[in-house]
Amino acid sequence: MLRGRHAVTRTLTVTRRIDPHVAIDRYDPEAELMLLHFGPQHPSTHGVFRMDLWLDGEIVVKAVPQVGYLHRAVEKLCERLSYSQITPIVDKNDYVAPMTNEQAVNMAFEKLLGLEVPRRARWIRTIFAELQRIASHLLWLGTFAMDLGGALGGGATVFLHCFRERESILDLFEEVTGARFHYNTHTIGGNRHDIPAGWAAKVKAALAVIEARIPEYECMTLDNKIFLERTRGVGVLAPDLALDLGITGPLLRACGIDHDLRRDAPFHAYDEVTVNVATAQGGDCLARMIVRMAELRESIRLARSMVDGLPEDSGINSGKPIKLPVSIKVPAGQAYVALETPRGELGTYLIADGSQFPYRLKIRPPSLHALSALPYILPGVTISDAVAILGSLDPIMGEVDR
Amino acid sequence: MSTKRTLDDDGNFEHPIYKTLLATPGLSVGVASLDDLMAWGLTNALWVFPMATSCCGIELMATAASRVDIDRMGTIVRGTPRQADVMVVAGTITVKMAPRVKLLWDQMPEPKWCIAMGSCAISGDFYRNLYSVVPGIDTFLPVDVYVPGCPPNPEALMHGLLRLQEKIQRQRKGEKVVPETNPALIEVTKPSVPRLCDSTRTQAMDAAQLASATNATTDEVSEPLVVEFTGALPARELLAADFEGVLKELGVDAAVKDGPPLVPAARHVELATKLKALGYRQYVSVIATHWVAKTGRKGKDESEPEHFEVTTLLRTVGASSRVAAWCVRLAPGEALPSLAKLFAGADWQEREQWDLVGVPFADHPDLRRLMMPENYTLHPLRRDLAADLPLAPWR
Repeated sequence: MLRGRHAVTRTLTVTRRIDPHVAIDRYDPEAELMLLHFGPQHPSTHGVFRMDLWLDGEIVVKAVPQVGYLHRAVEKLCERLSYSQITPIVDKNDYVAPMTNEQAVNMAFEKLLGLEVPRRARWIRTIFAELQRIASHLLWLGTFAMDLGGALGGGATVFLHCFRERESILDLFEEVTGARFHYNTHTIGGNRHDIPAGWAAKVKAALAVIEARIPEYECMTLDNKIFLERTRGVGVLAPDLALDLGITGPLLRACGIDHDLRRDAPFHAYDEVTVNVATAQGGDCLARMIVRMAELRESIRLARSMVDGLPEDSGINSGKPIKLPVSIKVPAGQAYVALETPRGELGTYLIADGSQFPYRLKIRPPSLHALSALPYILPGVTISDAVAILGSLDPIMGEVDR
Repeated sequence: MSTKRTLDDDGNFEHPIYKTLLATPGLSVGVASLDDLMAWGLTNALWVFPMATSCCGIELMATAASRVDIDRMGTIVRGTPRQADVMVVAGTITVKMAPRVKLLWDQMPEPKWCIAMGSCAISGDFYRNLYSVVPGIDTFLPVDVYVPGCPPNPEALMHGLLRLQEKIQRQRKGEKVVPETNPALIEVTKPSVPRLCDSTRTQAMDAAQLASATNATTDEVSEPLVVEFTGALPARELLAADFEGVLKELGVDAAVKDGPPLVPAARHVELATKLKALGYRQYVSVIATHWVAKTGRKGKDESEPEHFEVTTLLRTVGASSRVAAWCVRLAPGEALPSLAKLFAGADWQEREQWDLVGVPFADHPDLRRLMMPENYTLHPLRRDLAADLPLAPWR
């Protein structure tokens, strides 16, 4: 896993939690405060996100995040669409990992319909999820390094390296589904596209390249003194606060909490494989980086082993043929399914009333919970660190606002 | 030496500087009209301002990144409107975002062009006619090139940029390339064109909004915390969960047909506190649903008055993680006690449910809208509202 010199052990001492609802006029009346609207259009806000930062000099005193600039009314839209029409809509929510979005809603429909997904389809879903995690973490690393800016030798260097490798994953998906993203490859009860011949070899070739280049990324980041200075101890998130906020995924594991739905509440075919969960101590930006790099390696290992052992014993769709889209009627009931996306727990709460349309479809996005940590961890840091902290949370505004 | 400009026998320009230049090895000199020079310069240095809001923004990044590399044609991405020539609107523009887009467009210096990238920017795509999405950016911006796709491939955006270069060259040559306005098209878009500013919005509303944004409700610093998770975590054996036991203790019947157990609103906070102590430490979500009044079919099901149901989800951490879900039924207008003091994550989640569904939460520290603008009046996820609600007013 990680080399010895990066395994920093720290003890965590948290004495108090910042109250984000304190009025700004409770601050020192002598101070000259400045209100900075950070966003909604700013390259380092990772989309359309706005923070109202009250600054005392360079120090953030109070942060008021504002979301909703990409509120596309997905939940309302889903209420008037038939079940099979929803898959391509939710693709657009988390547009860095669309595969997992499709899986989340289709799993909820399958749960209420009582459909058994064939083993081969479950394996393909698992492989897709792991490849998607690699692509997503690569994009995160590239943009995070760009947030840290010129300190890393030109800023865009890591970004260009990561995008080069990300393209190879997108090529694999394109070969199966025909699209670079927004795949629409999952259906209720299985998958739409089967793996083409010779795909496994291409996957292994691409993974071998990426695996060989991970040391390069680490060389550019974790071996860089400036990178370490700008991430170590920056944006510390206490474990209890992370749990209270509902923070999941790599952010939670970076707080030292050993929790991963792939292992703890298995879905797809994760009950048939061993998932090694990466954790790190400290809860700072460096710990998040360490966790994501370890997950990158673990995903490569999982995808490689699974693409070899892909079962041939079943089709990729459940026996029941899906007829006209409107003819699917999900029986009345309620279901919650959750899966581990690159950003954490993506949940779907489905309320069906027995008709052709869902009565209520609530998507539980991991990024919204991650962003809600900002008012707690930003006060007291400099504005340059605020950029680093926001980048380390890996927010995707499409799923935050939906 | 005379500096008078004359032509030699072949009709060539014979200024001494020109002759020196011609004699310099490796240098060539051409003469062009100023318009051609302008066109040449403009087309080969199109700096892109990325108005990237969603999925298309990722493809815009991919276009600028390693494989496609639009640097080759002199196009680089600048994050500031003041140094850019082309605004690429990549992604869905919502009514909350549109005034910002307009502002940034106005900040760009002339000459400037606009590319609508992706079907959301072109027409709103399937979000068209939803309450919060602008049906195409050409309702408020002059678009030069449309690049269709969902999202368009990097190659498609590259093609769009090349077409824009052609257009600029033709424009410099005096050709009229702006198409005549299509009355039929305007007829289609007109009913949903949003207002550019809300005339009802006053300065007092701005002040009130600022006041509510920095609302004082609690003390400066909360109590010191006992941190249970430190150092090496015994996370795998941390939690033994007995949700049913707690329900029985509270006198709640756990067996409910199709759905989580119903808990009276008065026991809501008590149940959450007990579950948190039991080990359901992670806040998952809260889902509010509006149920319209139902007249029962004879002998089949009962009639139900209009009501709201709020389902709360909590989770245990570590091996064999479990979810506890319970539901509270509320009459219209009835408030549910907030869990924000117990779980910090409930703060934003309850704000979202208040905003979209319209369930009020009592004792919430900061119950403002989360997604929609502050001056929006409806709760769009109520079931008695149609999906194609009128657009939210622009700020």
